[in-house]
Amino acid sequence: MVSAKDTGEMVLLRLRILTLGMFLAMAFLVVALWRVQVLHGSRYEKNLDKQSIRRTRIPGARGRILDRHGVALAENRPSFCIAVYVEELRQPGRLSRTVNKVDSVLDRVSAVLGLPKEVTRDDIKNHVGKRRPMEFLAWKDVDHGILARFAESRVTFEGVGIYVEPVRTYPQGALAAHALGYVSRADPNKFDDESYHFYLPEMEGRDGLEKALNWALSGTAGGRLARVDAAGYRREDLGGIDPIPGQDVVLALDARIQKLAEASLGTNRGATVVLDPRNGDVLALASAPGYDPNTFSRSISERQWKQIRSDVRKTLLNRAVAGIYPPGSVFKPVVALTALENRCAAPSAGYNCSGAFQLGNVSFRCWKNSGHGELNMVGALEQSCNAFFCHLGVLCGNERIYHMAAAMGLGEKTGVEVAWEEPGILPNDAWKQRVYGDKWRLGDTCNIAIGQGMLAATPLQMAMVMAAIANGGRVYRPRLVLHPTAQSAQPVRSEQASYQAVLGKTQDGNLARDLHWSAETRGTLVKGLRGVVNADTGTGKRARLANLVVAGKTGTAEFGKKEEGRKHTWMAAFAPADNPTRVAVILIEEGESGGRTAAPRIRTLMAGIFGVSETREDTAPAPGRELD
Amino acid sequence: MTTWLQNFKLLKRMNWLMTAALAALMTAGVLFIYSASYVSEDRVASARYLWQLAWIAAGAGLYVAFAVYDYRKLSQFAPWLYAAALALLALVLFTGVTVYGARRWLQVYGSLRIQPSEVAKFAILLLLARVLSRPESDHRKPAAFARLAAIVGLPFVLILKEPDLASALILAPVSGIMMFVGGVPMRYLLALAGAAAAGALLIVAVLFLPAKLGISPETQERIFRGMGLRDYHRARIVSFARPRDDPLGTGWTKLQSEIAIGSGGIWGKGWRNGRQNILGYLPRSVTPTDFIYAVLAEETGFAGCVAVIGVFAVLLVCGMYTAAVAQDKMGCLLCVGVTALVFSHAFINMAMTVGLLPIAGIPLPLMSYGGTFMVVTMAGLGIVQSVHIRSGRANLFEVV
Repeated sequence: MVSAKDTGEMVLLRLRILTLGMFLAMAFLVVALWRVQVLHGSRYEKNLDKQSIRRTRIPGARGRILDRHGVALAENRPSFCIAVYVEELRQPGRLSRTVNKVDSVLDRVSAVLGLPKEVTRDDIKNHVGKRRPMEFLAWKDVDHGILARFAESRVTFEGVGIYVEPVRTYPQGALAAHALGYVSRADPNKFDDESYHFYLPEMEGRDGLEKALNWALSGTAGGRLARVDAAGYRREDLGGIDPIPGQDVVLALDARIQKLAEASLGTNRGATVVLDPRNGDVLALASAPGYDPNTFSRSISERQWKQIRSDVRKTLLNRAVAGIYPPGSVFKPVVALTALENRCAAPSAGYNCSGAFQLGNVSFRCWKNSGHGELNMVGALEQSCNAFFCHLGVLCGNERIYHMAAAMGLGEKTGVEVAWEEPGILPNDAWKQRVYGDKWRLGDTCNIAIGQGMLAATPLQMAMVMAAIANGGRVYRPRLVLHPTAQSAQPVRSEQASYQAVLGKTQDGNLARDLHWSAETRGTLVKGLRGVVNADTGTGKRARLANLVVAGKTGTAEFGKKEEGRKHTWMAAFAPADNPTRVAVILIEEGESGGRTAAPRIRTLMAGIFGVSETREDTAPAPGRELD
Repeated sequence: MTTWLQNFKLLKRMNWLMTAALAALMTAGVLFIYSASYVSEDRVASARYLWQLAWIAAGAGLYVAFAVYDYRKLSQFAPWLYAAALALLALVLFTGVTVYGARRWLQVYGSLRIQPSEVAKFAILLLLARVLSRPESDHRKPAAFARLAAIVGLPFVLILKEPDLASALILAPVSGIMMFVGGVPMRYLLALAGAAAAGALLIVAVLFLPAKLGISPETQERIFRGMGLRDYHRARIVSFARPRDDPLGTGWTKLQSEIAIGSGGIWGKGWRNGRQNILGYLPRSVTPTDFIYAVLAEETGFAGCVAVIGVFAVLLVCGMYTAAVAQDKMGCLLCVGVTALVFSHAFINMAMTVGLLPIAGIPLPLMSYGGTFMVVTMAGLGIVQSVHIRSGRANLFEVV
């Protein structure tokens, strides 16, 4: 029999064991808590942030593009959007209820403001599904009237607000469109090294300077952090890093001259380039037909884009740097320079043009069938005698011409800062062997000597050549951008570039090489080119101005099938002739002739640039078939 | 009338430390139920803390009533209460409110619901105390043990039928501890423990073997239902072992609970500042009830967690002390039973929140939102006070 006392002791013992067990269990819990909360607490904290923090990439404001006087050619304007803040309209339960709510609020806003809805239910569904913590832009870029109406009636719309979005804008419209290029939305996937959940649209340069200087114009992206709840709605903003705006770009371009240059092209297809021969600054870079880059800033439709891309007129082609044309007679001064500098011919050496140049049994016709008669180099330049230059070319030999032309920048990209530049073609024996597998023939030399054959150059290259002739042999690489230069590539924080400082620093230009032409050579060239405009027999006399001495060279280059007789017409000119400060090149595709098509435009352009009256020294042009 | 008043004077002799401890736990409960639901747009949800206050008031009334009432007289009601509990358990199977596929609640009036399984815990406790307080020699007979097993087994099966596996399983430690103290021979207890282990094994086997054997899902489903099991039990066990397999599904609550607790750190984020809680990563449906400890852990950190464990320890020690000083075996067993009930719930709930045990629908006593269990717990603690008041402060085991 077990005694009561024994029982009591047994119970007490068992109670003690129980109490101890409970204590051990609780201690075990404390240890587990210690492990989770103290030892690994930071890990769980990170997990918490990982699942509840959403990072949004905010691009830096794109820098402006300014002309040399600070006129804005590209900038950003605020675009006002009516935005829905989804988290304020969230409905408990299924997502579709929130979608319905947003939809009905938009219907109401649409009715009150009289704005037709621009988004579909699918758009809303898509946004609520994928970009829930972000603003939903229901109407983009609304005008001020609607904005005012919205502000007045705002109290009645819950969860709807104004959201400002920067839009790239080109205040001068189509001006310098090809040089500036355009922007469109960057592919967010290219930022995939950064771990962002959402991306605000960032614009990226697609053409022209916008593309070439994208590195300077686009700022450094910042980020915005938001805490979302388990349902993915934004709960609070946690701040973030401010984006750094991109740099402003200062161009050598002069908006006033650019306007004149574009006007010079009229409705024709072609290009106009104006340079400062003292430093290679590109004061105007025009290409026609043009386009308004503003249309690209907003997303354009597929159809619109296809239409632009397939335009037979090649609207997007920047003819000034990417159009390559046979230079025709505009090339003749290069041959003259080759002859004079290599002493292949004296300035005074004469040649009798009979209307054709005979090479073996092939006859190269001069444009003047009756022949120019006895000519020296000055006269040959003035009248653009083909026979003279064929003769001169054969005298020099192609390799010499090739070296001179190459030294002046033909056959390679000028290095101007815009995209898609073409190098053109400067042929020689090696080139012909490589491309055609055929050796160089004297006939080829003859063709080159009059700027025809396989030779091809861009209007900018020809302007560069003419600038070197104007300044006496200093070859400058054309410069479109004054600031920032590739050397000063450190991003500058939002500080405005001081134009004067920039201009002062960059007065020298990019001198490629100084060819050290003799004074006699230069004198002969300038005399000839003055005569082109100012002599009565000159082919470019339609460019003559009363109060400004213009010098230059016309060109009429045949292309395509001979029987079609299609011609590209040129004139390259500089002024004032004795101390040149401006070089202008006009190319008109499929014109009549350099003298008739391009020269009058040079006259108007130069008159505009120098602000002189556009009257000619002698009123009526001399009769005759001066075609070249 | 006089006796009633005299009885109320007895309240002065109650264990005030225990009263303070449970008051502290209930206060913390209300505070964190508020924290867990104040952000909810749902009016009913955000008013939960007020309901909890009402339940506390009801519980406090029962606490005092049971403390005043002589526990020795409870013995006579035990079989009736037990019968009533069985009736309710049977009733719930037919007319219970179905929530998430289980019938666990009985609609009483309006939105007032009671959970018969909680009532059953209390009834089993009373009846076990009554039966076990008979002379010890009785428990040595297999027939007596069989009767004890039947007392627990009958409601166990009924609760399993609801199905509410967790509530059924928690009967095992509570009754086991009472039998342990009540003098049931160790060989029976070990056999019972063995049977429990075998049962657990059987459950796991039923959950996983048919799938491994390639039995069709329909047949599996039938086997599960026959055993009172559901697919989610398997999922919970799988997610306990490998929560990352399905982080957005069944593993979600476990992972989020761990993140909530872990990110609380040492001092927590402050009351009403728990992000896991506010942002709803901890499912709103469970934060005020079974996961209230996770809310507290996030907002008060390790310090708050240990404090709560400390207060529970005080409560448990008070219960065990009262058991030790009880005037008779009935009182001792009642105290042990109530203490075991509180301990089992508290430990399993906290261990599950921390991720040591699979997720189970076990509330945290005195803190979790919920009326029935609050009332039952307070009634039980009232009985402990009744035993305490009537104890002789001597070692009363000699009086047995």
